[in-house]
Parts: sequence; C-alpha cells; structure tokens
Amino acid sequence: MDLIAGLRTDAAALLSDGRAKLVIGYRAVPGQGGKERAPVFVTDPARVDVLVYDASCRQNLAAYLKKPEVRARSPVAVVAPPPVMRSIVLLAAESQITDATVVVLGVGEGVYHGVLDIAQTAALLRGKYADLAPPATLVREIERIAAMTAEERAAFWTARFARCIRCYACRAACPLCYCTRCIVEKNVPQWISSAAAGHGNYAWNIIRAFHLAGRCTLCGACEAACPQGIPIMLLNVLAAEEATRDFDARPGYDPAEKPVIGSWNPDDKADFIK
Amino acid sequence: MNLIDADKLTDLAATLAAAGYRVVAPVRDEDAVRLKVWSPGAVIETATIPVNSAKEFLFPPSEVIGRYALDGGDFTSQEVRADPPRTVLLAVRPCDVAGLAVLDAVFNWECRDTFYNARRAATTIIALVCPTSDAECFCTSVGGAPDSTRGADAVLQSADGGRRFVLSPVTEKGAAILKAAGSTLAEGHARIDPPASVSERFDAVAVTEWLGANFESPLWQEWGLACLGCGACTHVCPTCHCFDLQDEATRREAVRLRNWDSCALALFTAHAGGHNPRPTQTERRRQRVMHKFRYFPERFGILACTGCGRCGRLCPAGVTMCEACCKIAEAAKAAKADAK
Repeated sequence: MDLIAGLRTDAAALLSDGRAKLVIGYRAVPGQGGKERAPVFVTDPARVDVLVYDASCRQNLAAYLKKPEVRARSPVAVVAPPPVMRSIVLLAAESQITDATVVVLGVGEGVYHGVLDIAQTAALLRGKYADLAPPATLVREIERIAAMTAEERAAFWTARFARCIRCYACRAACPLCYCTRCIVEKNVPQWISSAAAGHGNYAWNIIRAFHLAGRCTLCGACEAACPQGIPIMLLNVLAAEEATRDFDARPGYDPAEKPVIGSWNPDDKADFIK
Repeated sequence: MNLIDADKLTDLAATLAAAGYRVVAPVRDEDAVRLKVWSPGAVIETATIPVNSAKEFLFPPSEVIGRYALDGGDFTSQEVRADPPRTVLLAVRPCDVAGLAVLDAVFNWECRDTFYNARRAATTIIALVCPTSDAECFCTSVGGAPDSTRGADAVLQSADGGRRFVLSPVTEKGAAILKAAGSTLAEGHARIDPPASVSERFDAVAVTEWLGANFESPLWQEWGLACLGCGACTHVCPTCHCFDLQDEATRREAVRLRNWDSCALALFTAHAGGHNPRPTQTERRRQRVMHKFRYFPERFGILACTGCGRCGRLCPAGVTMCEACCKIAEAAKAAKADAK
C-alpha cells in the first residue's frame, strides 16, 4: 500500500477501535515557516489526514514517550522510521514501555511497514535495517580527532564544551534520557558544577555520553536540538563503537537484550570485577 | 556620511578592540553565525540572523555574584565587584536592541541589579538596520521594525547595494565610537539600501486580550504536547531573563552562582516538598506565552517578545511563538465573530 495512504488508514483504525488513544506523527508546517516538518498529535480518527512522512521527518518522536502527559494517553501509536524503531525497542529492553503502552507505525524511505508490536519491530530492524551505520562524515571526523595529539584533542573539546549553556536540550530531545532526576540536578552532594563553564561543562557532556554508551541508537536528536552547535554525536558514536567492540552491544535490536550499562557478567574478560 | 566598505567591518572591530573595547559581533562559527566576542581572524557576517541573542553579554549564562571563604564552621563574605569591560555590540539587529528594553525594565524593577546595570552602563549599541530577514521573523507584529533605531547609540545601514555601510551616531556613546573608529571610516556619500521587509503576521493586541480570558483553553494542551521541555527557546530569547541561584562549595571557599533558568523545565517550579504547580508542559508552555504577551505588558507596558524568531528557528520540535500567536489571533477573531 502507498506509504501515506497506508499510514493514515492504519492511524484512523487504531484510534477508532481503541488500540491507540493518541497517534504521534509528523505534519507539514504550513505557510512560510523555516522548519518543514513538526510533530503532530492526533486523537480524532477524522484528523489523520494531517499525517505525512518523508525524508525531512527527522525528529525522534520516541522522546515523547517519556512525557507524563503523553504516557497518560496510552496506548500511544508512534510513526517510526528505523532510528525511532530502535529507540522504541531499546525502551522496551529497559522496561520503560510495553506492547500495552506503545504501538509502532513503521515507516521507511518510501515504504510503509504497517502496524507493528515491539517484537515485530525488532524483527523488522534485524531483517531490513541491521546495518544502520553512522554517517561517513562523522566516522571521518572521529578518525581525524583520534589522530590528534592529546593536547590538540583537549583544545578541540575545550573549545566546543565552552559553548555549552547547560540548557539540557540534548537531554530533553533524547528518548533515552528518561531519568526523573538527572545527576546534573542532584545537589546533595553537588556532583557536577551547575555553572555553564569549565569543568562543569566537561563533566556534563562526558557523563551524558557515558550514560548512553551501549544504549545510544545514533538518531542524532541531541545534536539537532543543541542550540550551541556542540558536536555531541562524535562522543556518542565513539562510545557506541567501543561498546560494540568490547561488549558486543547492539542496542535497539532486541527487546530482551540486557543493556551494557545496566548489566554485568561474572565471566567478564576484564578481571577487575572478580 | 561616515562610510565603511562592507568587507571592512572586521577592521572596525579591530580598531575598536585596539581602543580597549570588548567587541561583540555576528561572526561565522563553523556552520552557524553567532554573536561572539570578536577576536582577530573572526569573520563578521551581517546577512544571517545570529543563532544567539545579545543578552548573554549583559546577563551571562552563569556568573559569580557572591564569594565566601570557609574556615571550619565559619565563613567570611568576600566582595564581588561588578567591573565589566567596556563593550560594543557591533551590528546587532533591532529585535536584539528591543530585547534590552525588557531586561532594563526587569533588572530595575524591585531592586536595581548591580551586575546587569554595570554591564549595561558599559555597553554601546551599534544597531544594524536589517539588510535581510527570514521566514521566522515577525518583529512588525510586536511593535518592532527591521529599520527601528530605538535604543541604539549608533546605527549601521547597508548602502550602495550592500557594498558599504553608513554609520550614524545617535547618542554621545555612539559619537565616542565614531571617534574611536578614526580612519576606519571615510567621509562621503552613499545611497542607503531599503531595509528588509517583514510582513505583519498577527494582531498582538488581540493576542493579549485573548490571553486574559483563556487561561483554561484546550489549545494549551495541544501545544504542551509538542513541547519537549528543552528550554532552548528561552536560552536564545533576547528577553527571557529568569535565573536560578546556586551555592557551590569546596572545603575552602564557596561561590554564589546566578545561572540562567527556564520556565520550560520541570524543575523551575518544583517545590521542595514535591508539589509542582506546573506539573506538565501544558502549564509551562502557557506560562511562556502568558508572560510575554500578558503578564509583562500588564506590569511594564511593553511586550516581552521582540519577534526575532530565534525560538522558532531553533526549536527541535517545531514549536514557534509566531505560530502560537497566529492561532491565538485567529481564535480571538473567531470568538468575536461568534459574539456578534
């Protein structure tokens, strides 16, 4: 079936028969606005004609699944291209969502995959989207930074972290940053300085990257949300590559997978744990 | 007329920097244009609206406003002096200059804010009559204009089809800049270019009126859903001025920090006891619109939105103040038609 027609038909059916109370999808922004696509929230089956999907739809809609006002409208159907599907599978693996709360409307480049549960979403990802690689430009940039001297690397990151204004837009846009109390807001004790400067900025950006190691599905929402142009994805891709190399992490492909950061293995190849 | 070639703005920045000014200008920063402290080698770009606003140079994201020496159980308060550098805001847009009127009002309201006012007094504003606008601009809907010179100490206007700029002083501070610029400027004549045009998108008076009667409108829920609560809009906004005070200490010393805060964030109104009077993004989004278009004009007589469009350009979720106001103005119109 045609992508848009299929998407709208299924969205209307889900809302009509109660399998979803809310559909989160993409809409075309009317008029002369700068952004072409924005999220849209449909509760009325008569209003599904607002839904669109194409390559301009880049926001990760799974980020909305952590909002209490969205969760209150479960079950929620989410229009999900592959990076969003991976976020959803990972959220299931981390016990944040279940088939009872989330339905997937799978979309790809010019193709509609239909209404999927979490297991079907994971199977589709493993079958059709098993080799989602980070963009080549990012990989080349990581290689360029890896070839720097320690001093050059420090200067590179110091200049970029200096831009951070600690708005935490990266965290808000990330589907996986769902902690109700983030470490950066804990002040008894104050683990991380709240000042938008120096070591506090370093600590915040590095700690966030660490918390995403082996979990990040490389959707790029954090970097897209950053008002200061900090190349956050360089850290995330680097951490993801290491998590895959050292711990066989393939986040977002299996709802039964134990997240690297939330599990340990008595047979770990490193001996410090024994 | 005092003229400067369009590609010589950097020389003007260098001359002013050499004369002891901290020069803030729109400069190329990788793939964006940002207002930054100019340093040798930085390229000034006037055709693109910078991502950030000028407020951070008067009201920085973080500043130390108190300092204490700690000695066991005792502490000694140490003076923190507001000693700001002499600053020129070079080629800032009229919407940014208008934003300073909002900050002036709030930082001189119940008390005069020492730190803000010291920086303000040390700042000279050279406004740029907008040579360009983009789809997110809506200054003309909130009382501004691309060629407004209100609040400027000197005005920079594009001339001769963008080949030069005309620099005209407005105040004594502005005249001092022209003097400091010396031979970077040349006397001569040029044909001033027409400013960018920005079409009027909504009726702000109708928006303010509607807000007074629609605290419980279902529209807030619709808009609250899309908002991710990231706060990026408030951070780049030229008028948002909320801050948080944080004390941070080591064994030997403590500092009192003033950090930017944001009504878009859940913690902004979280009470120590656990209650949050703005529990969801619905209430937080409403607060931002209400504050700019209802509460602020009620208290100070001016809108707290200058139509710069930064929130819309930046929002990762496509939420924009202009779109909200257009819908409110439509709703107000529809309500009036119904009443007839």
